Amino acid sequence: MDQSTRRKFLATCLGAIAAAGGGATLYPVYKYLAPGKGDEGLAKASFPESEIPAGGAKFFNFRGETGVVIRNKNGELVAFSAVCTHLGCIVQWEKEKQDFLCPCHAGRYTMDGMVIAGPPPRPLAKLTVNVANGTVTIG
Amino acid sequence: MIFVKRIYEWIEVRLGVKELVAKELTGYLLPRNINFWYSMGSIILFIFAVQVVTGMLLLVYYVPDADKAFSSVTAIMNRVPFGWLIRTCHAIGSSMMVLFLLLHMLSVMFMGSYKRPRELNWLSGFILFTLVQVICLTGYLLPWSQLSFWATTVATNSIGAIPLVGQFIVEFLRGGKLVGPPTLGRFFTLHVAVIPVLIASVVGVHLFFLERIGVSTPPFGLDNTKNRWRGDAFRYDEHTGGIPFFPNYILQDMTSIAIYFTLFAAVVFFCPGIFFPNDAFIQANPFQTPAHIKPEWYFLANYQTLKLFPNEFIGLSIQGAAMTFLALLPFIDWGNEKHPLKRPLFMVCAIGGILLYIGLSIWGHYS
Repeated sequence: MDQSTRRKFLATCLGAIAAAGGGATLYPVYKYLAPGKGDEGLAKASFPESEIPAGGAKFFNFRGETGVVIRNKNGELVAFSAVCTHLGCIVQWEKEKQDFLCPCHAGRYTMDGMVIAGPPPRPLAKLTVNVANGTVTIG
Repeated sequence: MIFVKRIYEWIEVRLGVKELVAKELTGYLLPRNINFWYSMGSIILFIFAVQVVTGMLLLVYYVPDADKAFSSVTAIMNRVPFGWLIRTCHAIGSSMMVLFLLLHMLSVMFMGSYKRPRELNWLSGFILFTLVQVICLTGYLLPWSQLSFWATTVATNSIGAIPLVGQFIVEFLRGGKLVGPPTLGRFFTLHVAVIPVLIASVVGVHLFFLERIGVSTPPFGLDNTKNRWRGDAFRYDEHTGGIPFFPNYILQDMTSIAIYFTLFAAVVFFCPGIFFPNDAFIQANPFQTPAHIKPEWYFLANYQTLKLFPNEFIGLSIQGAAMTFLALLPFIDWGNEKHPLKRPLFMVCAIGGILLYIGLSIWGHYS
């Protein structure tokens, strides 16, 4: 066999073994560091309806994020993702003004989640709410 | 390829890589009769690197809090993907590091490589050996199991036998009268921050001595096995006509590391519980001492020595004397001969010492 061909073959084999070894090392490390499914929380969030204060808001964990539920003008419960659509801060419920304010860059949303001021590009994402036997279920 | 070549040239004109490679790698010549045992240092460096990486990964999930440490380690072992692998590698790696440090020390002893002008290499190596034992001891407490808790209690307690200052040192180390949450905080800091930095620094010093003085010549396969050092002035121990470090000896280093890695992987995958007795899987209970608590295998000889002597201070003094003797070996063994078979007194002492160490360890294990 030609010397250069043999050298090339051996180098290729060595490279393949090194790549396989690297892969076998990096894959467990990646899986070890990757966020687990358990960290994303339950598919549904439930709590007693009584935990929602009159005119106030209840914040909760939902699928690894923060959600918020309020009672609108018609007395119905509405829930949103509390993550501001601008840069991901958590919006705060302003009881007096009955709207959401993002303290990071003064983004403001109505109680329906629509943007009324500031930099947020989209409304707050709406979540499904169900009430049964005094228990609120989100999702 | 042209781009890579340009980057290489850019670096070359600034750092003189070619000259550096010629001096430190291809032009760094080693004795022609160099053997497998000279690659022990590379194996230990490899183990240290693996310990650093796996240790950093464990820090992602480990919680250094007495209430949460055990559950965090349990979660790493049972819930985190491949957590068992990372933790087992780290735990077994610590034992491997001690084992290969012992082999490295033994090879240096038998080949007489500690003899002048390499006293400082030996001393720095001995300091490394001590630091590795300390890092193993401090790491042992972190899982906060019954084994870690009580092994640390016994190990720290024996320091109390030192007259006058013993009890003060014990309480200072523990952060209180007994092992407890403050001890975990202290040992965690020592294990992940202080000692790794010290080890890395002393490794640097050890390699500097190796580089500055030059590699020793093994006494095997030579007619003249006497020490070549004249002692009148500093001279780099050159090996004219020797084999280059790169690519020749680095291939031996790689082979040795591959053999070590095979052994290591065999232990990790086929007998991962070898260093984990049952008490390692029970959470620490400060009110219940388990029966027959034993230290790690490398402390079994020390453990048995302490048991043999009713007076703890005498037991501790004997161990201190043995360690001091070992540390000062190059200053005690002044002979010029390096071949082990031409050093009968050394051979008797060394083999006797090894047998005593193994015997005490086995006795300690079964006592």
